[in-house]
Amino acid sequence: MSRTPSAGAAAFPGGVLAAAILAAERASFLLVGSAALWLRGEPLPVADADAVIEPGLQNLRCLRDALAGLTVNPRQVPSVPVLLSQPLITVTTPYGRVDCLLERGRRDWNRLVRGADVVPVADAAVLVAGAADCWSLRRQFKE
Amino acid sequence: MGERSGVGLAEGAILEALDRLGGRPGRGFVKSARALAAVEERIGLAPGYAYQVLVDLVQPWTMPVPLVSGQGNFGGRGDDPAANYRYTHVRLSPAGQAALAAERGQIAPVPIGLINGNTHREGTRPPFRPQGVIGAVREVLRRPRATSRQLIDIVGPPDFITGCTVGGDIDALVAGRPALLRLQARVRISDESQGVIVVDNLPPYVSTDEVCRSVAHRATEHRWARDHPGLGRATRLPVADVRDHSARDRYWFTCTPEPGAAPEVVADQLKEVYGVSTEVRAALPRPLPAMIRQWVRAYHDEDLPASLTVLEDAIASVPRYAE
Repeated sequence: MSRTPSAGAAAFPGGVLAAAILAAERASFLLVGSAALWLRGEPLPVADADAVIEPGLQNLRCLRDALAGLTVNPRQVPSVPVLLSQPLITVTTPYGRVDCLLERGRRDWNRLVRGADVVPVADAAVLVAGAADCWSLRRQFKE
Repeated sequence: MGERSGVGLAEGAILEALDRLGGRPGRGFVKSARALAAVEERIGLAPGYAYQVLVDLVQPWTMPVPLVSGQGNFGGRGDDPAANYRYTHVRLSPAGQAALAAERGQIAPVPIGLINGNTHREGTRPPFRPQGVIGAVREVLRRPRATSRQLIDIVGPPDFITGCTVGGDIDALVAGRPALLRLQARVRISDESQGVIVVDNLPPYVSTDEVCRSVAHRATEHRWARDHPGLGRATRLPVADVRDHSARDRYWFTCTPEPGAAPEVVADQLKEVYGVSTEVRAALPRPLPAMIRQWVRAYHDEDLPASLTVLEDAIASVPRYAE
């Protein structure tokens, strides 16, 4: 089951909109966490967007540009060499926090992408991790 | 330091240092650098770290009841940070002095930790209205069989110093379960300027400059919206102008809707912008009434009514609670 609200900012939580904009900016990532579960129909409050980033220099360049355009605090967006080595970065956006899970992407991208599928958010296509993977990661880090 | 007032280890070391250096209410201020050197000597916390804690203890928009009074530039709610510790001065506030006296056993314990919470340091315990917490403690002292509901009603919901509204599952929070609190600024349509939207009482822990930038960002047409017009419509705010009017202790800004946009609709959309609304993860270690009862039970053989009066007097020096 997945959610497809018709239109309007209020229909989507901020974390989901932030993910959709990253997708519209052509950054390659998998949405996990509460925003992903919300898109899969779970009645959870969405506090932020957790994005597992596809590894690779070209994608990190694209991600950096997308985050620089999205953030309200440009100092939070590090350079590409820093993105290559950091496990995680958090960026504040007008839609809430975006956590970019870089290390998780380096370790688990291929496995997570197998269970993922695309969910439309307005007219942007967001790659969302499988529900089982989302719950598994959530249990690992939250409970 | 800790149990008798609820202040943390670093906070307690700062209060001790200020007292030893003579930085007390009604007396001279002490250079922050001297206080931090004393903290480093006592608990080994480097000045750069301890200063972050000290600044929190001073800033009136961070802690509901500041434990330290400051002189000099302690920054603002926007992007301006406090001046370096070589250029600021501090002394105990009346509430800081009460906390220290309680820790030393000079007076009975005071529930400052419960009042201030620790969400200002990314903890999960939110602040509560001082008069509510003190009132609930007095109620348990007076009527040990007061019900949980009565105590919850006396304490009231979490109360953040900026006056933002607090939503979320507060019943779960006070029952000892984790809850996501939604903090929201006041968003209203101006009486004086037709159609202009006034945003004030912003939630704490967000930069007011970032909030203004968030609104301006949402009002901008972005390059990706050409390929994704639906997403553009779902995210864009019909705002023609954003003006920051913040000055000294009052932080507020106004938004002028684009021609043809209904102010009421734009006001509702503004409430969804990050910073105008934020979320805070909150949790108490136990149900709130149990915390209060346990606290009273632990210290019932001390003169709690007297220490509560000391605390009330100290809190009366905080402008927001003066009346």
